[in-house]
Amino acid sequence: MNNETWEIGGKTLKSRMLIGSALYPSPANMEEAIKESEAQIVTVALRRQSAGEGGGNNFWDIIKELNINVLPNTAGCHSAKEAITTAQMAREVFGTNWIKLEVIGDQYNLQPDPFETVKAAEILIKEGFEVFPYTTDDLVVAKRLANVGCKILMPWGSPIGSGQGLMNPSNLKAIRKQFPELKLIVDAGIGKPSDAVEAMQLGYDGILLNSAIALAQDPVKMAQAFKYATIAGRLGYEAGTMQKREFASPSTPTVGTPFWHQFS
Amino acid sequence: MIKVSVNGEIKELPKGLNVSQLIEALNYKTKGFAVAINTTFVSIKSYEETIIKNGDTIDILAPVQGG
Repeated sequence: MNNETWEIGGKTLKSRMLIGSALYPSPANMEEAIKESEAQIVTVALRRQSAGEGGGNNFWDIIKELNINVLPNTAGCHSAKEAITTAQMAREVFGTNWIKLEVIGDQYNLQPDPFETVKAAEILIKEGFEVFPYTTDDLVVAKRLANVGCKILMPWGSPIGSGQGLMNPSNLKAIRKQFPELKLIVDAGIGKPSDAVEAMQLGYDGILLNSAIALAQDPVKMAQAFKYATIAGRLGYEAGTMQKREFASPSTPTVGTPFWHQFS
Repeated sequence: MIKVSVNGEIKELPKGLNVSQLIEALNYKTKGFAVAINTTFVSIKSYEETIIKNGDTIDILAPVQGG
């Protein structure tokens, strides 16, 4: 097993998988799946709750007991202003300066709004947040986010919850090539373990996923599958894959082959 | 009395309440929440000095599952 550590947002971690806490069949199933994934970062959110409601308490108690890093999101925000307010509220509630910045620009495919995302990122970084911006695989948007001080970028594989995998691996590869110093996480769209392997083989530092695990027929087993897929993809990247060849080339030595057809 | 919106519900409250008194008046029991008034965050340290005004839109948010 790969025991190497890596750093993100000032923390040293072993796991390169960031896991969501939504959509599981039950809170107990969520807890078990997160444990099985061995993820060290879990995403959470903030929503309105009526006086006396205890649901949020119960959920938050389970997450706290997991004793892993919490990454609050700004899901549902449609402007920089809304995202900034949500981030400030999250910092107080969750006691972390980490924020998964999501500013949605289109309700149909939940595509991030690049203009509002960059605007919010710039302000939040000035306010001391460690911004994990959810963005598309657009290289220029990535540049703008880096220019305002983002040390982490989270381009999508494909739209949130779609499970379509990596729509544009070449775009993701270009971002990796242009920003070797940034931490890059493929966020959203991962559907199956092979998508995680592909993302990690591109040299991405990690993956963030939720639906692929929570909506699997057996979320706990799928969490385990993604744990291994993430490790396999990373090891494959570090090991360096062979060059593709146009033609076959035997792997078994040809010298000493019996029954050699010398004259055929 | 003043009328305010709390998490989307219209409520009638006594005039002059600060945020701490509002939380108490609402009997808000959930631990771990944060408050915004008119989409601006109000930190815990500002609760005492922030007075609720007629027509304010108050959001009280608590942890939930997220992706």
